[in-house]
Amino acid sequence: MSAAEQNRRLVWKGATAKSTPKPLATIGRIYIPDRALGWIIPVTVLLVWEPLARFGMLPPNWLPAPTVVGKTIYQLAIAGDLVRHAGTTIARVAVGFVLGASAGTLLGGLTGYLPVARKLLDPSLQALRSVPSIAWVPLFLLWLGIQETSKIALISVGAFFPVYLNLSVAMRHVDPKLLEVGKLYRLSSLQMVRRLILPAALPEYILGLRSGLGLAWMFVVAAELLGASSGIGYLMLDGEMTGRAAVILASVLLFAIFGKLTDWGMNAVGRRLLGHRAR
Amino acid sequence: MVNHGFDQRGRVNIEILHKAYSGSKGTLLALKDILLTINPGEFVCIVGGSGCGKTTLLRIIAGLETEYEGAVFLDGKKLTGTGLDRGVVFQEHRLLSWLTVHANVGFGLAGLAPEQRSRDIRHYISLVGLDKFEHEYPHQLSGGMSQRVAVARALVGHPEVLLLDEPFASLDALTRMRLQQEILRIWQAERTTVVLVTHDIEEAVYLADRVVIMFPQPGTIRNIVPIRMSRPRDRTDREFVRVRKSVHDDLFAPGGISHLAPDNF
Repeated sequence: MSAAEQNRRLVWKGATAKSTPKPLATIGRIYIPDRALGWIIPVTVLLVWEPLARFGMLPPNWLPAPTVVGKTIYQLAIAGDLVRHAGTTIARVAVGFVLGASAGTLLGGLTGYLPVARKLLDPSLQALRSVPSIAWVPLFLLWLGIQETSKIALISVGAFFPVYLNLSVAMRHVDPKLLEVGKLYRLSSLQMVRRLILPAALPEYILGLRSGLGLAWMFVVAAELLGASSGIGYLMLDGEMTGRAAVILASVLLFAIFGKLTDWGMNAVGRRLLGHRAR
Repeated sequence: MVNHGFDQRGRVNIEILHKAYSGSKGTLLALKDILLTINPGEFVCIVGGSGCGKTTLLRIIAGLETEYEGAVFLDGKKLTGTGLDRGVVFQEHRLLSWLTVHANVGFGLAGLAPEQRSRDIRHYISLVGLDKFEHEYPHQLSGGMSQRVAVARALVGHPEVLLLDEPFASLDALTRMRLQQEILRIWQAERTTVVLVTHDIEEAVYLADRVVIMFPQPGTIRNIVPIRMSRPRDRTDREFVRVRKSVHDDLFAPGGISHLAPDNF
């Protein structure tokens, strides 16, 4: 190998080798890892907030110190209230989401596969979708009472639409070139759905489930704020009535934590289902 | 299991009188009076410019187009739709991204005992030289490798005829030449009838027993050129160059390349 050739090889290898990207931010000679960048603002806010609240610069009935919020959660936990309220809320989200997502899967699958079903059902469902979902609340309360049923109905409506829409659209938009492969092998309609259409639509469907779950969490807040005797939303309302800002902030934090956790869980399930597929 | 031997299966009789597409701008006559017999075990290449109907012709043989006047017979039996007696490779690999190479190759394989099925699949993966990639997914493969998987998928059901629609058109020149050699090797091992559609004259002359030259508007067969050179053929050989030029001259004769598709060459 000539020297020039050797050089070229080296350059080529250098070009394809994994190089560490330049960090986005530096302070003098200190490099801040990119992952840490996102933490700077929240940590700074907490560090400023805490002493300001401690030394009475912020009214405690408006904005209690972060440690006070933390302590509130701890007290709720040892009193057993946390488990009770969080449990109720999670159960509502779970039942509502399962019902809404199931209906969305069923109707999405039907309209995605059968053009007749789509022409029949989709216009009506789209019309219903244009109603802001909170607007259903009075009707649900009237029909289903103020107990669990109306809350779960509202959450189901929230979870339904993203699942329905994503599955229906994804099934309709499966690459016709792949369907032709199924045709070559003389797959039956059922095999076509099971072996080609559903697997091809799976990534979009999982995305729909994730958005549906997100909306289920949004709607549980609405449902619980509008009348409940337990749940994190009730806790929030209770905090407002009794003027305890720490309880309200604790509830907000709990919603954020549970929402994020379930989204992570759903994402993990999705990744598992999608396996090694190219993303 | 693999070697069909010279059992004289895979004869294709094409008698397409009329194939038209009707669209918003009226009817387009895609094929007219296509009469062609392809012998068992023969390697036929169909060349022509854009819009000459060569892909339509292949799709009719595959059974993907069923609206036309005329008939296509495979071993004397009239074809009415798709079937496992014909393996098809498209220009795009059309592999299923959620299946491994193994599962993709076995996608259309039904009614076999699991061990037999697995053995067949592995045999064809090995035939296309991808033993080490059996459990990989399509996105982990290069374009050439994906096309090899597509060839294995088309062959695994032991079709009488292998239909290839510009299978190497989207590959780089070197990979294309490599796969041309491979397809000859595979054809010689399998002894299936092969019909390959291409717009690459050199590819046709390199591969075919006969080159069918098609003209557009409407798609008709202009000429059929037998290639009698022994294989492997040398692309720089004087005889090869001469045959290539004669096919080229035929193709570029007046009316050969559609004026509707001036950008294609």
